Amino acid sequence: MKNAIALLGQPNSGKSTVYNALTGSRQHVGNWPGKTVEKNDGFYTYNGTRYTVTDLPGSYGLSGNSDEEVITADFIKADQADLVCILVDASQLERSMYMAAEFAQLNKPAVLLLNMMDVAKAQNKEIDHKLLEKRLGIPVLPFTAAESGGYEGLKALFARELAQPHKLASVPEIPAGGDVQAESEAKYRWIADMLDGVIRTEEKRFELSKRDRRLLSPVGGKLACFGTILVGFLAAMFICLPLMGIGSMIPQLLNKPIADLLNGWHVHPWLVSIFSIILPNTVYFCLAMAGFVFGVNLVFGYLEEIGFLARAAYQFDGLLSGLGLQGKAICPILMGFGCTIGGACGTRVMDNWGQRMLTMAVVWAVPCASIWTIIPVISTMFFTPLQTMLVILGILLYVVVLMTVVSKVFGRRLVSETARSGMIMELPPYHKPHWKHILKEAFMKAWDIFKRALRTVTLISLLFWAFSYSGTGDVADSLLYKIGTAIEPVTRIFGLGWRTFMGFLSSAFAKEAVLGVLNAVFVGEGTVLDATFRSAFNVATDNAVLGQAMTDVVSKAEALAFMCACTFNIPCVMALSTTYRESHSLKWTARIAGFYVCGALVLACVVYHIASLFA
Amino acid sequence: MKLTDMKQDQQGVIRRIGGDEHFLNRITAIGVTEGTTFQTVRSDRKMPVLVYLRQTLIAINRADAERIEVEAR
Repeated sequence: MKNAIALLGQPNSGKSTVYNALTGSRQHVGNWPGKTVEKNDGFYTYNGTRYTVTDLPGSYGLSGNSDEEVITADFIKADQADLVCILVDASQLERSMYMAAEFAQLNKPAVLLLNMMDVAKAQNKEIDHKLLEKRLGIPVLPFTAAESGGYEGLKALFARELAQPHKLASVPEIPAGGDVQAESEAKYRWIADMLDGVIRTEEKRFELSKRDRRLLSPVGGKLACFGTILVGFLAAMFICLPLMGIGSMIPQLLNKPIADLLNGWHVHPWLVSIFSIILPNTVYFCLAMAGFVFGVNLVFGYLEEIGFLARAAYQFDGLLSGLGLQGKAICPILMGFGCTIGGACGTRVMDNWGQRMLTMAVVWAVPCASIWTIIPVISTMFFTPLQTMLVILGILLYVVVLMTVVSKVFGRRLVSETARSGMIMELPPYHKPHWKHILKEAFMKAWDIFKRALRTVTLISLLFWAFSYSGTGDVADSLLYKIGTAIEPVTRIFGLGWRTFMGFLSSAFAKEAVLGVLNAVFVGEGTVLDATFRSAFNVATDNAVLGQAMTDVVSKAEALAFMCACTFNIPCVMALSTTYRESHSLKWTARIAGFYVCGALVLACVVYHIASLFA
Repeated sequence: MKLTDMKQDQQGVIRRIGGDEHFLNRITAIGVTEGTTFQTVRSDRKMPVLVYLRQTLIAINRADAERIEVEAR
């Protein structure tokens, strides 16, 4: 007996809530063999026995030909689960029982979980689950997934059923002929038979709530959605700022003591700079990431649970379907204007892996808040305020172009034609948020990212360190300088001299580092290494001095090319790492990163050569 | 008449659903089958049609809603 349980249910049935509550952090995420569908396995121990849980991909049925449905049906048919737990939404019992009707054809052991009993109760619905249990012949358990109270009972039920399984006693009679409509009508007839007398509710005319009347109107609703997401982003920032503040103190506090200590031991300066600069900063970067992930997950978890995200999806579906994206993608995209890390982990709300990966790729095109702190500074060194406004306008216009290009380039591979079809989705009723559950999930996700990111960020930081390390503190002694000057003839094609090219490279590391690095290479104050890693405690950059030094050697065309290249480069090493961690695909993360680096250079090349014509 | 021709708050019955098997699978799995009674909740230009059916609020994008024949009652 391998004690394998599979969770089956429609979107919004609370499947992932049950999965997370059962398995906690004992989860493994991968892909289904040969498919771009995420596979979630986990386990828990109950009374000394280990139980594995598979969270099957969410879909509305099983007879369709989407990847999700085929995977799920095959998984159950192949007896990969000893027990299937079917989740239905008690507040929309008739409709969500469709999954049970589909499952009935497979004739496997199962239990039925009547989830969202709290919502059903709030709607004055009464459900006679004993009667339903008698008719179905399998155990029926009333449940509220977001409350922690019921899980002991659920685990006990699983243990009992695995020892003595039950199969559905009644099965829909499906007419021969393979007519989709006749088949599904037969299934709904079966559901009606099963539910006859089971559910008591007042049948009344449906009326939109006051909130929905506002949120679903064509113009006002879109504005309200924008506003809500904006407030949500600010709230996420507010939540993560303390954590980032604590994080930024780590390099400040540790840098000098560690350096003094190691120097006192006469350790090689290489090791001193690794232990005193790189490692504390890596911890800080990862803490900052975790803070963002925590804040975003808290806010998004809340917005999703209360039902807001479904409304936003309805509002923006028309706009985003042109990019091959779902309406839900509006949230991560808008978050991207604040922080790409936030946007990337906000893609968790997407329905499937392909949509998620594509949304992450599109979010990278959105310039984050840090870009808006460096572009005006650089631009005003070379251009008048009016011209600077034009530069910013041009960048914003190119964002739209780039988003379209990215969705065209990657969309075909990531989102199949069938998954592209128009929106058919339910707008769940507003729920009360279950804060304990939302907090727990946000914390688990943040901790997970922190642990995983340490490795990636350390590795990339060490790489950058190796290139920018200079024994004497003079830029000219670093590997970066030697390579930079050697390949300058090539980078000149893209309009970038070796100095601006270094700035470009550092913009892939962290946008905050750009000004410091420019200062190091143009003015010669501080080393590139310090500038990059100590952007946290701002080695003060005198913009006037930097401006003078830059305008002496950099033409206006080069400056323009440089700004474009920086803005549309890889957002930062933390966004890169988050994308990898969230997508679990090194291949796709590398592909998208490669695309952005090349795209930024090509853009710089075009901008430089066109601008040179006018200069 | 088509689902998209229904007025706000009008009630009706689904009569015929056209389209390929993929579409039929999706639309019936969410609860829209021939003979189901429903209420149009919102039908704004260039927006998905919102219907209330089997105690669920469902959004159906406009192009697909064109393929659903209904009868007002």
